[in-house]
Amino acid sequence: MHEQPHSDPRIACAVVDIAEARLDVQAALDFVGDDAHGGIDVFIGRVRASSHGRQCVGIHYDMFDALALNVFRATAAAAVERYGPAAKCYVAHAKGRLAVGDLAVVIAFGSPHRDEAFRGCREVIEAVKHQAPIWKQEHFVDGLSEWSEGCSLCGDAHAQAGDAAGHAHAEPAAVRA
Amino acid sequence: MKISLQLFGRFRDFGAAPELALEFPGIATVADFRAAFDAWARAHWPGYPPGLLQASAIATESSLLRADSALPADGRLALLPPVSGG
Repeated sequence: MHEQPHSDPRIACAVVDIAEARLDVQAALDFVGDDAHGGIDVFIGRVRASSHGRQCVGIHYDMFDALALNVFRATAAAAVERYGPAAKCYVAHAKGRLAVGDLAVVIAFGSPHRDEAFRGCREVIEAVKHQAPIWKQEHFVDGLSEWSEGCSLCGDAHAQAGDAAGHAHAEPAAVRA
Repeated sequence: MKISLQLFGRFRDFGAAPELALEFPGIATVADFRAAFDAWARAHWPGYPPGLLQASAIATESSLLRADSALPADGRLALLPPVSGG
């Protein structure tokens, strides 16, 4: 597991190589658990058995670990700042060859009240999907594979690829030089 | 300038290795690198789609780089096609 030390004890971020370990939902709950919190929202992303009508056997996640951890940290810090100060956030994403049913991402966000927990968790998963340098290659039962269409990270071209999927984009995380 | 370029996602299908060692004389900015790399890829990668480079970001391990950014002194760059995590 590649974990990012963080000076803010309210944030934990990790990249987990599926060859070494699996994502741990309980670890996420334990991290954000706090007696000051009345709500914890958890998002779990898992590999599904079909994509665009084609049967899948698994997904390979490619990742630029160092920059991905920077994006996780910046996004979690922004959400904790927005919904804190008591909020806590856990972000972990798997990489490598995952099978159907394997967990790909776990986000947990704890806060005193449920609304902040829902909002914080949603904000972080949307940023992970649209801003983190992670690439999904789907493997199908017929032996073929395809890289998924994605969201461009380069400025004005940001919206072009992702909009085809009909999802919203958050503002890019503060990792641009 | 010597450039060490890490490839990710769809670009991995073009490179024989996950990292390319390149030398582009006279480049100073990310925009210069884009132009030089586009010419290199057209010459070396059969089936190279120029649109993929246009939709891709250039980054270091710590940040995305703007077109007018100076290239890092160590020449270490990453080429990031559109992302699809989660």
